[in-house]
Amino acid sequence: MNGDLRLYGCRRLAHDWYDGVIPDNVIFDSSNFIETSYSFRLFRSRMEQALTLGRSAAIYANTMFDLGPKACVEVGAFSMLNGAAIICDEAIHIGDYGLISWNVLLMDNYRAPRSIVKRRAYLDAMLSDDHSALDLQECPRPITVGANVWIGHDSVVLPGVSIGTGSIVGARSVVSVSIPDFAIAVGNPARVIRYLEAPR
Amino acid sequence: MSSRDGPTAGWTDGDLPANARLGHGSRISGPDAFKRFFSKRDVALSLGDLSRTDGVKFAIGPQGRVAIGHHCYLNDCILLAEQEISIGNYVMIGWNTTVSDSDFHPIAPADRIADAIALAPFAEDRVRPKALCQPVLIGDNVFIGPACTILKGVTIGDGAYVEAGSVITRNVPANAHVKGNPAVIVSVDMMK
Repeated sequence: MNGDLRLYGCRRLAHDWYDGVIPDNVIFDSSNFIETSYSFRLFRSRMEQALTLGRSAAIYANTMFDLGPKACVEVGAFSMLNGAAIICDEAIHIGDYGLISWNVLLMDNYRAPRSIVKRRAYLDAMLSDDHSALDLQECPRPITVGANVWIGHDSVVLPGVSIGTGSIVGARSVVSVSIPDFAIAVGNPARVIRYLEAPR
Repeated sequence: MSSRDGPTAGWTDGDLPANARLGHGSRISGPDAFKRFFSKRDVALSLGDLSRTDGVKFAIGPQGRVAIGHHCYLNDCILLAEQEISIGNYVMIGWNTTVSDSDFHPIAPADRIADAIALAPFAEDRVRPKALCQPVLIGDNVFIGPACTILKGVTIGDGAYVEAGSVITRNVPANAHVKGNPAVIVSVDMMK
């Protein structure tokens, strides 16, 4: 299906308010919904399959894909990103049936180094459009969000974290360590407060 | 239009307001940057050399002012200034962060009723009651992570590191590492 879209040059959305196109390395088909190409304003990935949308996955307004040159993002079938920010330099995987709320931030890289000296060098390079800035970044640590995960609004998922199948992250949580399957985790930092019954 | 291919100085999505001053090589991107920019000050927004803001919203009231130093990078945050927000050099502010120097509404219940009436549609001539404003001062080399909230009257010292999701209600000493809601000091000596 995606091949068809490429063939006929349908990389522009009919209903779009923003004058942009969906990049060629975004893999989607007619079962998907993408509200606006504005979501790809910061899309710089050069990978062949930079963003893959599963069947009927939906990308609503205010979602932003800030993808570095080597980023690969997968969004599972029937998942929806309702205004989330995906900051990726290596890999972020979101499973099937994911419900990702507004202003949720998934980042696999802090980008800025923690030490002041290195951070100044990074800013010097980046703001002069010097590509060596990429080498001064911290190493990315991929994020995996399992299937059937619900992330409440304004939450942050930090680099290297994985969230288990069927779990819920409460609104405004900061997920700094991995969350097991079928757990409810809330707070800053997010802690498991309860477990859900796993479906049989 | 891609923010990366835009001009080297200026606002990539329109004409810069007359009371905004950009240093050499500084760039503002994002169509909503000046949607709530109402400042009547002579210089309401200033950026030093080689600073960049991507998707930042400058919500500046009639008397408000925002001053940003050189080599700063601000990404998708909101700066709400009724009085003054001052940001040093080599500062990074991450996604979904809100910095505000005002309460926006009075505390006293009766005053808040008056404020709601003054803010109602077709009430342009009504004067709003005063809300508390105190400047926010952010030092040099400060890192503020994503999803943080910086409240009015706060001074963040040079070299401080504010973790993701922190809510800053009090001053942060220089070189402190803070996190949480409300933010607490984790250590006072971030590595140089």
